[in-house]
Amino acid sequence: MNHTTKLPDHRSERVRSGAAIAASAPGRTIKRRRPASTQWAAWGFLAPVTVYLVLFYAYPLYRNLDLSLRDYTVRSFVQGDAPFTGLANYRRIFDDPTFAPALLHTAVFTVVCLVFQYAIGLALAVFFNQNFRLSATLRALFLVPWLLPLIVSASTWSWMLNSESGVVDAVLHAVGIAPVNWLTSPSWSLTSVIIANVWIGVPFNLVVLYSGLQSIPASLYEAAAIDGANTWQRFWRVTFPLLRPVSAITLLLGLIYTLKVFDIIWIMTKGGPADSSTTFATWSYQLGFGNLLPAFGPGAAVGNLLVIAALVFGLVHVRVQRKQALS
Amino acid sequence: MNTTSRQRRLTAAAVTVAALAITATACSSGSGGGDAKSAGSGTYTVWDPYPQFDKTSDWSKLVDQCGTKAGVKVKRTAFDTSDLGNKTLLAAQQGNSPDVLIVDNPVVSTLAEAGVLTTTADNKLDTSKADPNLLAAGQTGGKTYGTPIGANTLALYYNKDVLKAAGVDIASVKDWTSLTAALAKVKKAGKKGITFSAIGTEEGSFQFLPWLWGSGAKLTELDSQQAVSALTLWKDWLKEGYAPNSVLNNTQTTSWQEFASGDYAFSENGTWQLANAKKAGFGYGVLPIPAAAGGSAAAPTGGEFVTIPVQKDTGRYATSQKLVTCLTSGDNLYNTDTTLSYVAPTSEVQDKQVAANPELKPWVDAVKAAKGRTSDDLGTKYPKISEQMWKAVQSALSGSKSPKDALSEAQSAAK
Amino acid sequence: MNGHRKRGRVKTTIGVVLTAVMLFPVYWMLNVSLTRDQDMRKSPPDLLPLHGTLAGYRTVLAEQLPYLATSLVIGVGTVALTVALAAPAGYALAKLRPRGGGVLGFVLLAAQMIPGIIMAMGFYAIYLQLGLLQSVPGLIVADSTLAVPFAVLIFTAFMSGIPGELLQAATTDGAGTVRTFWSIVLPISRNAVVTVSLFAFLWSWSDFVFAGTLVNGGAHEPITLGIYHYIGNNNQQWNAIMATAVVASLPAAVILVLAQRYVAAGVTAGAVKD
Repeated sequence: MNHTTKLPDHRSERVRSGAAIAASAPGRTIKRRRPASTQWAAWGFLAPVTVYLVLFYAYPLYRNLDLSLRDYTVRSFVQGDAPFTGLANYRRIFDDPTFAPALLHTAVFTVVCLVFQYAIGLALAVFFNQNFRLSATLRALFLVPWLLPLIVSASTWSWMLNSESGVVDAVLHAVGIAPVNWLTSPSWSLTSVIIANVWIGVPFNLVVLYSGLQSIPASLYEAAAIDGANTWQRFWRVTFPLLRPVSAITLLLGLIYTLKVFDIIWIMTKGGPADSSTTFATWSYQLGFGNLLPAFGPGAAVGNLLVIAALVFGLVHVRVQRKQALS
Repeated sequence: MNTTSRQRRLTAAAVTVAALAITATACSSGSGGGDAKSAGSGTYTVWDPYPQFDKTSDWSKLVDQCGTKAGVKVKRTAFDTSDLGNKTLLAAQQGNSPDVLIVDNPVVSTLAEAGVLTTTADNKLDTSKADPNLLAAGQTGGKTYGTPIGANTLALYYNKDVLKAAGVDIASVKDWTSLTAALAKVKKAGKKGITFSAIGTEEGSFQFLPWLWGSGAKLTELDSQQAVSALTLWKDWLKEGYAPNSVLNNTQTTSWQEFASGDYAFSENGTWQLANAKKAGFGYGVLPIPAAAGGSAAAPTGGEFVTIPVQKDTGRYATSQKLVTCLTSGDNLYNTDTTLSYVAPTSEVQDKQVAANPELKPWVDAVKAAKGRTSDDLGTKYPKISEQMWKAVQSALSGSKSPKDALSEAQSAAK
Repeated sequence: MNGHRKRGRVKTTIGVVLTAVMLFPVYWMLNVSLTRDQDMRKSPPDLLPLHGTLAGYRTVLAEQLPYLATSLVIGVGTVALTVALAAPAGYALAKLRPRGGGVLGFVLLAAQMIPGIIMAMGFYAIYLQLGLLQSVPGLIVADSTLAVPFAVLIFTAFMSGIPGELLQAATTDGAGTVRTFWSIVLPISRNAVVTVSLFAFLWSWSDFVFAGTLVNGGAHEPITLGIYHYIGNNNQQWNAIMATAVVASLPAAVILVLAQRYVAAGVTAGAVKD
């Protein structure tokens, strides 16, 4: 890591090992001997979660895999005798004309949402870190979007962005800009759902990044100020590098949650018009549940693609963590 | 050190996979079976898509009364209508189907195909009194899978005040040309023309069907010239500003709310809005949807079917059949359909409804002329066609494709 | 000195403006909840509900309070279960470093990816066999799957930061692993516990998929299902829907403001304050 100021040793360990999350990063802590009794105790502590995982996640995961590897009609879904067809469902969705747009939209949606959620969350966290009057209350109020059930937040955004009676277009009209068909135009539908999703995602980023900021001691800023660094340099050279582990986990979790986003898009645009805001998550739902004749196989196949994508990014994260810890 | 830790990781992974595999084999024997409902228990389950009716509502009380009459306890659960089909499939898979299922009529053929519903031959239900055009939605392969609880359909509501201010005589609106001319006049007078729902769900298809059928096109030929003319009609309305852009996202409720604001001359909406129309605060009228060259267009039938799902214990059908008969008997039908704002499915109750409320006459006539979406033995082909149709409507109205291209694509995808 | 105070006031103003922009959709929700049916689609819309109606709220207060109570019970239950499962696991992964711990962490990451509806279908099948359908404890367990993987991550991260010396001191004094966990690690991790509790509560509060699949029609339904009373098969009462959302947000908002002090300090901060 690049430090322009020297960190007292035990803090660096705490900050860095605080970042070694669940992955197998060796860390720089003193290599502890692992007696057998500790191993047993450890697995004793882990037993409830492991049983929990096997009981409640293994079965749905298996079902999802099973759904994607067989040819399920409504009849065989109910009666239970679907023939095994290997990768036929996957081939079917790769050949589907919706595949390429859905892939593109998923990528764009995820990247743009992550960038904006992170940037806005970080900016707000830094801003609120200055502890002016009311900062604590205002920071708490920023979490209010979370309290709303997604059907309500998505519906509220739908209302605000309505082409006829929406307040956003009314304000634009008042300022002299031509109204935009936010939800009904293929060019704007993806932007609209991105805006709504960023709004919903900012509180999460704010909370996590803010607490990350708490662990950076004020003495470092003072030292940097004495060295002559201005506000921007202090942020870039002190805050940002020290936030890296927290940022990494925020981005990874944000990626997983954004890949899964479905309700917002479905309620606002149903993935349309003309598939212009369809992502893998909405496509999977539409295939399996969003029409009168469910196609469970292809729906599950698309869902599994998302799981694989998340696993890949998880691996990347672990790899990056390990490299950082060793550096 | 690195290799041993990698080895340890692999061992752990292998153990996890083994555990998963064992769980999988154990669980796979369990799916599709499931003996969770004890036969012969005195409680019969009824599922319906009316979450707006809670325990204190007349509908709920009626269900309980029918249960008492049949000598059993009844447990009623309400679901969101768009979700009920899937929940039924899931329940059927696990052997947990309800005893009586009330479900939207286009879903009946899907459930029948899945083997979830019994036929009238199995459950001895008497469906002879129901109007044939309404019963057709629940019939495939020559078998009948349920009976309608009521029907609704679409027509054009119009705002008398707006039309008067624009100088439009409603009697002049007879076909598509005269309708478009009326819309032009309304726009010139500073008001808005027509609102409807073209959303990318079954509701959108439902609203487009009267125009499709009114042009003379068929559901099996989405790319015919007549179908293209129907879609072009809608597209031109949007282009000229006679219909708002919000139709692309409107549900029928939202479209009604636009009409209720008093700015619109016409709204394509259904029988169930009759009660709201009275509250609207302006003079309103109802007009059957005109066909392209005059006359009334065939409109699709909405409304639910009462069905009896398959059970492991076939002895339950006798009581379920009693429940269904009670729910769809003359007096009960009259009360239920009045609450739901539906038209009754039998002529005797229809006459009673019109006698009590003469405003229902145009609706009764419309329902008699209406067509089921899954009729003509389309059955489970309909959902596929419907999905392509609403996609084509969305593509054309949003400008991404021309109506001709959109419908050609829809037709090839729906085959 | 004066300049400093003025800068403080400027920052507060900016903070208020930013918060107002962020919360504008929430204000809009409030606005819709007070709008009459015929004004719902007015163009252009009213910024203030001048011709307001309390009909939505009257309906909600008459009908929805039991659902709120159920949601509260489910929320608290989810929090308890999540912390009970995740805290020991986080401790084990952070400090006890068992073999295979890394794999478990990875599996937890993957577990979060399974679509909610697939999880719900799985739970439906399992609960049907176990007879747990339409029961509140069943829904609590289901809702905890929303939070447990994330909670384990947070606890692991937090507890990694506890200095080894503290734990070694306890071991030297003769405390076993369980005792160390209970008496030393858990109290120190109070901030992480509050953070996890907050996330678990909020996620279970707004869950709909599990509630809809597992407790629909049962004796006790949460508020997310209560909303569906206003979404009939042909008609939706939007002012009642939004009013339900407003009323449902109030207790959670109170908890948020009270708990934010702990959350601020808590996600990855060091265990020992300077």
